[in-house]
Amino acid sequence: MISRFQNYASLAASYFRLNLSAMLEYRAAFWSQVLAMFFNNVIWVLFWSIFFSRFKIVNGWTANDVLTVWAVGSAGIGLSGAFFGNAGQLPRLITQGQLDVWMLYPRSLLSHFVLGRSSASASGDVLFGYIAFFALVQPNLERSLLFVLFTVSIMILFTAFRIMAGSFAFFLGSASNLATALEFALISLSTYPSALFEGAAKFITFTLLPAAFIGALPVEAIRDINLEKTVLVLFGTLVFAALSVIVFYAGLKRYESGNLLEMRS
Amino acid sequence: MIEVRKYSFLGLTAIRSSFAYLGEQLFGLVFLGVILFIFLQLWRATFAGAGAVKLGDLSLAQMIWYLAIAEGVVMSRPRISSEVDQDLRSGSLSVQLLRPLEYPLAKLASSFGERLVLFGLIAGTGCLLAFIFVGTIPFSLEGLGLFLLVLPVALLLDTIGFLMVGLSAFWFEDTTGLTLIYSRMTMILGGMLVPLELFPDFARPIVEWLPFSSVVYVPARLFVHPSFELFGGVIVRQGLSLLILSLIVFFVYRAGLKRIHSNGG
Repeated sequence: MISRFQNYASLAASYFRLNLSAMLEYRAAFWSQVLAMFFNNVIWVLFWSIFFSRFKIVNGWTANDVLTVWAVGSAGIGLSGAFFGNAGQLPRLITQGQLDVWMLYPRSLLSHFVLGRSSASASGDVLFGYIAFFALVQPNLERSLLFVLFTVSIMILFTAFRIMAGSFAFFLGSASNLATALEFALISLSTYPSALFEGAAKFITFTLLPAAFIGALPVEAIRDINLEKTVLVLFGTLVFAALSVIVFYAGLKRYESGNLLEMRS
Repeated sequence: MIEVRKYSFLGLTAIRSSFAYLGEQLFGLVFLGVILFIFLQLWRATFAGAGAVKLGDLSLAQMIWYLAIAEGVVMSRPRISSEVDQDLRSGSLSVQLLRPLEYPLAKLASSFGERLVLFGLIAGTGCLLAFIFVGTIPFSLEGLGLFLLVLPVALLLDTIGFLMVGLSAFWFEDTTGLTLIYSRMTMILGGMLVPLELFPDFARPIVEWLPFSSVVYVPARLFVHPSFELFGGVIVRQGLSLLILSLIVFFVYRAGLKRIHSNGG
């Protein structure tokens, strides 16, 4: 079990090095995307500071809570894009019958596929998240450790969500627009104060669009140093990750090759 | 006159083409529904927390209708910057230059046509959702007239802004970062998320004079809360912004053309 984990960790590290060097071939484009995403997040935090300068508390949430949501969320989602950036391409590749090239490698198809691309802008998200949290929230050691843990759990959850949303293409034929809409909806629900949602909306953020595991629960667990909520986040993430793998391989049985002659670029 | 007819024809063709592919936009409306729902909850909590019936002279219902129109403007943003970026980097601009059309005007005309249809779809759906969420608000014929006068200029201004960003590809390797920053500035500084009345006092005069407010805030505000005073000031600002942005695009395009090296093949 441990040697298998080491095996996949070394695969991920190799892919990351390869993807990074490919992106750095276009150095200016890479850094412009990193900086743009960083400033994009800064602009959002500015918006919230304008909002909280007028209204101090929203349903019990303060400016610090919103800053933590943005820090932990963008760092986790950024890690997903940096390490597993190909997950976002899944619906397009299924529709175009271009998964074939990923089937030729040893180890599981899904691991090679999700690791196969890295997003430059995602690094801007990661930079922003870590800088914002440690510079502006100024946490103690326990909160810092929880923050790092949650950025990893969010990375797994967001990747799993992309795989699941993308896998709809196996069943629907074309699902790029649907997957993008679901992804934007998840990010939006994650980055607003969770205290706004009650009843059915709250239920949705724990199930169909698991925003609670990206925003609400991690923020509350970090703020209150709460073990119960930490365990709940990890459990929810594992369940969602397992479901996404099941859905992907169930869908893969319906996959039809595009019969294209293709090289990985 | 022939010139005007030529570009009008391009715009009309884009409108007809957009109607043919309207189905592609349907999933984007899911995201609109989620965003409007989140904002309904956010402003409901904010109004309750502040114990106010009106904020920035808008009731809760007017705020949600304001958001529906503002979202329509922002979500209908054109793909013109990425199209221009692609034309410049792939070299297909050289083919476009052979046509008896000014490239920026041709791009602007077809993008503007597409955008009119998209705005109608998104703002129409937004208004329907606003009606379902909060009911109707008082409307007047004069108010709708003022809105319809400023709206086309607002959409044109924003399209020119994105064209300007796309033309920066003459100098930069990649413009996706700039496009992201520009669209975020339109959202935040344009007053999509928070109407300008609720900005801090020191920031308000600045954002009022930036072109972003003429794009988002003004049409949305005139739609829900018409005022001849606001309209009078806006005409001057929109005219000035249109003139300045057009001149920038003109000079940027002329300067960029000198950098083109065309090789046969």
